[in-house]
Amino acid sequence: MRAFYTVFSKEILSFLRSWGLVAVVLYSFTLDVYMAGEGIRIKPQNVKVGYTDESGGVVAKKILSRFHKPEFEKPIFFKSQKELKEAIFEKRILIGLVFDAEFEKNFLKNGKAEIGVLLDSTAATQSYISLSYLQNILFDFLETKAPFETAVHKLFNQNSDSSMFISFTELLSVITLLSVILTAVVFVKEKEEGTWEIMLLTPANSKIVILAKVLSQVAVIMVGITISLGFVIFEAFDTPLNGSFWAFMILSLLYSFTSAGIGLFIAALSESVVQVAQLSIVIMMPLIFLSGAWTPIYSMHPFLQKLSLISPLRYYIEGSESIFFRGTEFVDLWPYFLGVGALSLLFFAAGYKKIGELF
Amino acid sequence: MNAGVIKAFMLKEFKELLRSGLIIMVYLMPSMILILFGYGMRMEVSGVRTLIIDNDKSELSRRLASKFSHSKYFDTEVGNLTEKEALREIKRAKKDTVLIIPPSFQKRILKGEKVQIGVFIDGSFPIRAMTIQSYIEGTLLSAAEEFSKGYEIKGKIVKINQRALFNQAMRDENAIIPGVIGIVLLVAPAIISALLIVREKERGSIFNFYSSPIKKTDFLIAKLTPPFLLHSLNIFILFLWASYLFKVPFRGSFLLYWFSSEIYILISLSIGLLVSVVTERQIVAVVLVIILTIIPGFLYSGMLMPISSMKGESYIQAHLFPVMYYNHILYDVFLIGEGTASFKTSLYLAILVLYAAVFLSAGVFLLKKELK
Repeated sequence: MRAFYTVFSKEILSFLRSWGLVAVVLYSFTLDVYMAGEGIRIKPQNVKVGYTDESGGVVAKKILSRFHKPEFEKPIFFKSQKELKEAIFEKRILIGLVFDAEFEKNFLKNGKAEIGVLLDSTAATQSYISLSYLQNILFDFLETKAPFETAVHKLFNQNSDSSMFISFTELLSVITLLSVILTAVVFVKEKEEGTWEIMLLTPANSKIVILAKVLSQVAVIMVGITISLGFVIFEAFDTPLNGSFWAFMILSLLYSFTSAGIGLFIAALSESVVQVAQLSIVIMMPLIFLSGAWTPIYSMHPFLQKLSLISPLRYYIEGSESIFFRGTEFVDLWPYFLGVGALSLLFFAAGYKKIGELF
Repeated sequence: MNAGVIKAFMLKEFKELLRSGLIIMVYLMPSMILILFGYGMRMEVSGVRTLIIDNDKSELSRRLASKFSHSKYFDTEVGNLTEKEALREIKRAKKDTVLIIPPSFQKRILKGEKVQIGVFIDGSFPIRAMTIQSYIEGTLLSAAEEFSKGYEIKGKIVKINQRALFNQAMRDENAIIPGVIGIVLLVAPAIISALLIVREKERGSIFNFYSSPIKKTDFLIAKLTPPFLLHSLNIFILFLWASYLFKVPFRGSFLLYWFSSEIYILISLSIGLLVSVVTERQIVAVVLVIILTIIPGFLYSGMLMPISSMKGESYIQAHLFPVMYYNHILYDVFLIGEGTASFKTSLYLAILVLYAAVFLSAGVFLLKKELK
């Protein structure tokens, strides 16, 4: 036990002494998460719209007056379609509306008219969503008599506020990245600095040394998570916590053991920090890819869907989202705990065995 | 400038790159990221797990449900749950959306009364929720049109005649791949150049440089040329992936693509150089480079959010990072093809050259050839 404590506090101390590392870890857990949440707003906002109006009538003016904040900026007038296209090309506007000379006449006489819409499809998502806004604007304007209407409830996040979501996802990726790299580096540093043999000679059980080293880094991660939750997630973004706080902490603890296991594996294979960085990227990228963070799992190829079952990140992301946003009851969380728990046992045991061979 | 010394140092660097396995990193990582993102980042969502609760069980309500089950966007199940049970399905992340068709749906439609369909969407993933919402509204709209055939539609119609510029088919690949190239070529060279110098610092072999008579500029030329040359090959590799694997059209001049990419790699290398000036340990250097490049790379690339809709600080920040300028050129050469004929593209190319010059000279100036 004393050996454990000594190694543990040695690692914590050497972590705290390398101020660069402390600064980077603190930065990742706070400012980085904050910047991601503050900066990325996926929901179209202040979309710049341009228009050319050859109809010269009131109808077009009336439609245009319906474009307003926060979704749209006031539409900008362009003299011709050519100028409109140029503006889209130079990314001054995202959408161009074309009211042709026939527009007013057709609308008033036949009740049927067409608006030309030019979209900048290099920003495909925003264009798509803005287009559906546009459709709604026309719908309201015409007071179309549809036989039924919809009452849409977007549960847990009615306004689709993306900063809460993005900052949270960013935190999860920071946890993943750092827990793998920090754990691997704790071992590889000894290899690189030539203190590996000294470590082998210490009169302590190698199991205890390994465990203490890993736990010290897990502790660093857990402190980081707490700081990030307190200062950024809850304080800056007011993210609601619909589920249990401790459920999230336990899930995170289990998860950091999984990534620590991967870290041990990487540490066993690499001789230098550079190799750690390479291997982490090579191993973690596919796991992140399979986690459903980018593409929803149900949209994936069936084979990849099966494969995604081995990505611990899949259970972690879905589980944490359930705890935070969906407010899932504790009973219904068992698949995530089971998934992360089983994989953490598996990965940790494998990594432990691999690094144990070097002792 | 001493060609002989530079040559000797350069040879050493090349050998080290080969022996340390960094060479694998140079070629594996960019291609891997491009392929993973190319296949992985899909804005389009398909197979949305949908539960329809049909409380009417009439012909019309069944037709409405079949509208959904025939769409590739929805993976539909018609169930007989209460609203509360259905919400629990969403909470357990088993279903993404639930539609509730009210009782006497058909009767009221035939009478011409307005009926409300309840739609619940799992909003914990905002962008996905918005996409799903627009799919559902679109499907319901076309169903509405179909149902009201035979009846007189009241009111006027304005059709939207949309035309997506530069990417007619609205392919996700076309919109994403050029942006990913912009990120990859910012991150990968920066990591290598930062590591090359910090590794010497950490191992202590930097003293060879401190004590040798080699000039600072010569040293840097020898240090940066190998990664620059190796990464130049990546410009072509990434182009081949984009064109042949992802079938992104290439409409502009290849020369412009090549030249601007070389400049961009130079910028990336100098970012790595600047990082290596302030850090002493490799791990810090790696994480710092990732922080400095990946996040602005995504944020200000215009991929996630159009630069034109940014406000205040983020608008200024976007203009401070080189990503935006390079991405503009990339999208131009891949999708648009205006080339240097456009004033903005030429201006951005000039800005990139300026960035490269400023960053490089800052790196040269700040690197010290002595102990602190």
